[in-house]
Amino acid sequence: MTDAGASDEWLIGRYAGGDAAAFELLYRRHEMRVWRYLERNVGNRATADELMQEVWFAVARDATRYEPSARFTTWLFTIAHNRMIDSIRSRRPQLSLETLGYEAQSVVEQLTADPGAGPLAAAEALDQEVALRQAIKELPGDQRDAFLLQVEGDLSVEEVAAITDTSFETTKSRLRYARSKLRDLLKEYA
Amino acid sequence: MNEVPPSQDEPDEVDEFYRRTSSLDPGRPSESVRQVVLKHAAQLAAHRAAQQAPARIHTRAPAAKQGWRRPAIFGTLAAAALAGLLVAPRFLVEPAAGPGPAVGPSQRQDVSAAPAAEATTAAERPSADMLAPAPPPAPATAPRAPVARTAAPRVSPGTAASPTMDRNLPAIGSLSGGAPAIAPQNSLAKAQGFAAPLGGMAHAADPAAALRRAAEIGDVPGLQRLLDEQVDIEARDSSGRTGLMLATLRGQIKAVDALLAHGADPNAADAQGNTPLQIALAGGDPAIVAALQRAGAR
Repeated sequence: MTDAGASDEWLIGRYAGGDAAAFELLYRRHEMRVWRYLERNVGNRATADELMQEVWFAVARDATRYEPSARFTTWLFTIAHNRMIDSIRSRRPQLSLETLGYEAQSVVEQLTADPGAGPLAAAEALDQEVALRQAIKELPGDQRDAFLLQVEGDLSVEEVAAITDTSFETTKSRLRYARSKLRDLLKEYA
Repeated sequence: MNEVPPSQDEPDEVDEFYRRTSSLDPGRPSESVRQVVLKHAAQLAAHRAAQQAPARIHTRAPAAKQGWRRPAIFGTLAAAALAGLLVAPRFLVEPAAGPGPAVGPSQRQDVSAAPAAEATTAAERPSADMLAPAPPPAPATAPRAPVARTAAPRVSPGTAASPTMDRNLPAIGSLSGGAPAIAPQNSLAKAQGFAAPLGGMAHAADPAAALRRAAEIGDVPGLQRLLDEQVDIEARDSSGRTGLMLATLRGQIKAVDALLAHGADPNAADAQGNTPLQIALAGGDPAIVAALQRAGAR
């Protein structure tokens, strides 16, 4: 029997022992955070879906090797980060502004098609969401990655530094620059 | 484990805006991905549960059936004691006859070095884990979700079926304070860089896979050893990637140099048609680009 309030570390241990429900709980708990991390880094939903599948396949396969000396989220986002880096490196020539523009347009369409939101709320949400996406896209890759790791993974500076294999000071600097730039770009919203 | 971790900057209004806006974002991973992932995970879980069942049954075996163990243990101990009585006097006499110490300096060093070696092993455990036999294959082949871009040309190191996927195992030890086992060659390798040289054990299983692995992680001594043993330098993984391609992808310039020096084909494309030079250009590795071009890469 799997406890919905159980820690991530306990759940991955349960899954390693053969409890499929524990994995599902973990997946649902972290699904959106991992996906947003991937999608906002690669700027492409289809690619994010592919990476999402690879990341969670790796989690499922390597669950027995997870060592609880680190938080589960650190392990999870390390896998996600590595996948994302691989993807960006191998796909860079294929990415185009057209692709990114299509993605932004897709968000606009989804937001405006949401029947549950009132017109004003939808317009505001749309405005903010587009502004946020644009601002994140404008960050340099290293800063974007560090910021998304911290904000989606709820990771410490040390953990982000370890995942990206950079020094503590460099990571802290990247995070500061990222937040500073986002603050500038989003000052009319934040 | 969801407490605010140390060294987290104070909550920032940008973070709050990000979280608030993201919660309204209608973007979601596709349902097919979720279904495929959960199905695959369930299959693996069922397989693991089935594997563990016999072990549990074994540990519950009634003690009455193990009555043969006692005389066996006593017999072994008695034999060992007898052997000790016969052999020990020889060693007790010898020191008087010769100047050599019973325990040489090197042996003492080994003993004193044992904790250090143990610590090293512990620090490298995740890498060693990477050597562990891959979990048994799932009962069914892991399917891929029908996502839109699966047909697009790409280099996807470590697909579910790829032996290179193990590189994704982070060195948890290093995350909690230990240094990465090898110095990464560039930012990508740094991103991957929690691995340790693997040559030996992987070699025993599949020399060609060990060569690719050594190339991928930049284990030049291991790679050199395998190359000297005439392991097939052009052997490919399930994605059609040679060792040279993997070394290029990981930014392992020394491994690239070693492979090219041994005659690796600089134009060996992977299953998607990507050549090492294309990958090196995409990755922005001028040293690797130059090395490949010198070797005749197009």
